[in-house]
Amino acid sequence: MVELQGTLVLLILKTLAHGPNHGFGIALHIQAASDGLLRVEEGSLYPALHRLERDKLVSAEWKVTDNKRRARYYKLTPAGRKWLAKAEDNWDSMAKGVGRVLRFA
Amino acid sequence: MSDRDDFREEIEFHVDMRAELNRAGGVSEDQARESARRQFGNATLIQEDMRRMHVNTFLESLLQDLRYATRGFARQPLFTLTAVFAAALGIGSTSAVFSVVDRILFRSLPYAHDDRLGSLGMIAPLDTNEFLFADAYFDWRKHQTPFTSVTSFTAGVADCDLTQTNPLRLGCAQVEGNFLSTFGVSPVLGRDFTAQEDVPNGPRVALMNYGLWQSRFARDPNIPGKTVLIDGQPVTIVGVLPPNFEMPTLAHADLLFPEALDEARERAGRALRVFARLKPDVTLAQAQAAMQPLFEASLQYVPPQFRKEVHLRMRSLRDRQVQDARTASWVLLGAVGAVLLIACANIANLLLARATSRRKELAVRAALGAGRGRLIRQTLTETLLLGTMGGVAGCALAWALLRMFVSLAPEGIPRLDQAALDPRVLLFTLAGSIASGLLFGIAPAIQNPQAESLTGSRTAGTRRMLLREWLCAGQIAISLVLLVLAGMLLRSLWKIQSVPMGLETEHVITAEFVLSRLGYSEDARQHQFLNELEARLAKIPGVGSFAISDSLPPSGGTRGRLLASMQVEGQPPFDKGTGGLIMWRYVTPGYFSALGIPIVRGRAFTENDRAPGASSMMLSQTFAQRLFPNGDAVGKRIKTVEWATIVGVAADVRNLGPLQPAEPEYYILRRHVPDEISHIQEPPTGWRQAKVAIRTSVNANVMAGWIKREFAALDPALPVTIGSMQRRVGRLVDRPRFNALLLTLFAGMGVLLAAVGLYGVMAFLVAQRTAEIGVRMALGATPAAITKLVLSRAAGWTLAGVLAGLAGSIFATRALQSMLFGVEARDPSTYLVVLPVLLLIALTAAWIPTLRAARVDPMNALRHE
Repeated sequence: MVELQGTLVLLILKTLAHGPNHGFGIALHIQAASDGLLRVEEGSLYPALHRLERDKLVSAEWKVTDNKRRARYYKLTPAGRKWLAKAEDNWDSMAKGVGRVLRFA
Repeated sequence: MSDRDDFREEIEFHVDMRAELNRAGGVSEDQARESARRQFGNATLIQEDMRRMHVNTFLESLLQDLRYATRGFARQPLFTLTAVFAAALGIGSTSAVFSVVDRILFRSLPYAHDDRLGSLGMIAPLDTNEFLFADAYFDWRKHQTPFTSVTSFTAGVADCDLTQTNPLRLGCAQVEGNFLSTFGVSPVLGRDFTAQEDVPNGPRVALMNYGLWQSRFARDPNIPGKTVLIDGQPVTIVGVLPPNFEMPTLAHADLLFPEALDEARERAGRALRVFARLKPDVTLAQAQAAMQPLFEASLQYVPPQFRKEVHLRMRSLRDRQVQDARTASWVLLGAVGAVLLIACANIANLLLARATSRRKELAVRAALGAGRGRLIRQTLTETLLLGTMGGVAGCALAWALLRMFVSLAPEGIPRLDQAALDPRVLLFTLAGSIASGLLFGIAPAIQNPQAESLTGSRTAGTRRMLLREWLCAGQIAISLVLLVLAGMLLRSLWKIQSVPMGLETEHVITAEFVLSRLGYSEDARQHQFLNELEARLAKIPGVGSFAISDSLPPSGGTRGRLLASMQVEGQPPFDKGTGGLIMWRYVTPGYFSALGIPIVRGRAFTENDRAPGASSMMLSQTFAQRLFPNGDAVGKRIKTVEWATIVGVAADVRNLGPLQPAEPEYYILRRHVPDEISHIQEPPTGWRQAKVAIRTSVNANVMAGWIKREFAALDPALPVTIGSMQRRVGRLVDRPRFNALLLTLFAGMGVLLAAVGLYGVMAFLVAQRTAEIGVRMALGATPAAITKLVLSRAAGWTLAGVLAGLAGSIFATRALQSMLFGVEARDPSTYLVVLPVLLLIALTAAWIPTLRAARVDPMNALRHE
């Protein structure tokens, strides 16, 4: 669960590091930033957002968007920022490690 | 919950945005929305997941599971009803029986450290319980080593009278001064006896039972120090016993008096009940071994002829109290346990069937991401809920069953009056519900939802089907064991009841009374009362014949004489041991005709035999044959206290009940005036205790009223117990009847549950194979062939169950042997009756669903697929 769900959480938090955003915006950003390689399932995204909210890594509030619609905006909390920094380090070393293993042979 | 709207709005926003994006891509409005929705997936489910992220405390998810479970049960009322019914039957009967046997087998006795208490003494043919004569007791008390404390009370609780305004008949016991302290009991009010009070000619003091204090003295807090009149004598109450106090023999005692044993004078020997508290780390066996030398030394006090028949016995207080109820208790507990097991198997089967039909639902949920643990928890919650509902319904059933037990139960089941659904039993019920919930829930719960369930193929259930068939076979096996046990007990009961008792019990009314010590201490006064009573009874219209005796069958006479102490004219004195104790009764001439005891030789007593100077006796047939194996007893003379001539021989009466052979006994005629014998036979009650038997064709209630009126005319304060001979004799088989009844009830429950289970499995099997059956019929199979096909499978497991049941029965009946009379545990005839009954029920239960199979319409069946 750390792997798959951890990855989604990492992607969400990283996206929010650029500024508050709503669920749709997060999904769009991940898809765009990965050049369409990663697509987030809505069925995973929203439960994950709410779990992060419960765990106080993000906070949420209703705001009106540019085109006058109410949307739920998520924002990194200080705790979320700390968690993200640590997770990024871990991810880097893990990615390096996995890369080496894959290149070996 | 406003959250719910929030979730919906958040999702709607997402879908709208996606649709807008799609529209920007040049798709039509409708298509854009439609594909946005599709891409989002199951919004309801996701909403649910979002919500779960916020509510995931254990309690809340439990509530959620419970909500799902109740909703599911409400949708399938028939399933739910059957399962709850089965659980209630199992749990209810187990709780009811437990509430009774718990008191007998498990619950601690109302004494401090009750497991360290024991009863000890000599065991002799006279008495089924150990006793000790006072002289031996003094030695034992002085020299014993294994006990921290030894105490005694005088055997038997005697009648005594509270002689104040509103006289009351009470039970009075005489206990040693350290009685309460040995048992670890302290008075709730006042104090225990002091050492100065338990001495010969000590002050007249007593401890009062809580019940008497409550009912008669309105819980007067100042009762200690007050004086009450007992048998006309002032007695000072020193304390009140705790409400749960009971005599170690379970006899009822209202007042305890100091025993006041006189070591100097008591050598003649009062019979005592002796109890002791073991030292820590001393076992019963060690204590018995330690007491053996003392026992052997005290054989000197035993008459020489008796010595070979006397042994030392030491047993735990519980064993002393439970007596022979232990085996029956375990058998009944085992029987309800078996019913519970059948019920569990039954419910497991129902749940498995339900799980099979829910396979798709579960597979879908698993595919959508519900974790395995979550699904198991959901299933377990459902079964636990089922168990709890069964438990609640079971409590109601237990209450009803317990009331039935109490109303039907014979005398002598220890502590039955205390049995109740108290917290301890309810706790047991709760534990039983949860345990059975887990037991029958575990099988369906561990079934892993498999992906192929989604394909609609029917192969996935095969393994599960096999499990269900095994469960069925198990139920049949256990039911068979129960049926065999019940059958054995019923046959045994039948045999018991067909034993002739030696008397005609119909139309005989009995009256029992004990004249008060105060008014009737003199022999002459007792005889005067009895003479007047005889005269009055003779004048009651409709009295055919009647008798006044000191004891009535069944039950031995209250008086006994060693054969060795009798002298038979023309025969050498008896010199081989004691010859045993021969019981005898005082009777009036009408005794034999009133009780319908045939005279086999000579004649019955007549009024002439009561004339001064005449001296006659009668023997029972067994006794006559024993004394005069080769000749006629009539006309011979025997000396007991005085010489008497045998005038007749009466047929044997089974005084000890149908289970025991007739014991020898003899009869002495009650005369109108005190005679030599009555002087010698004074204690304990002399002629104060008497019983009347009246043969009459008048309605029993009417006659009872007339009899009471005559007694009231003689002594208005005398309590008289009216009964019937039929009831007295019937009581002897009450215990076997009760056991047989209960076991039959439980066997019936077991068979009913097993039949329901079998029916359910067969119905399910038929439903599942509808398509296959349709194909077979389309290919030309006849309905008969289909019936055979389906039934042969059921016959297979029924047979497997029967074989397992037979093996189990052989073990189970062995445990039952001590409860059987005239029936051998291996007796095949019980099996010959029980087996066809069970097979018939099983095959009928299996056959009904096959009817539907045979009526399957091939076209419908195939379309159904």
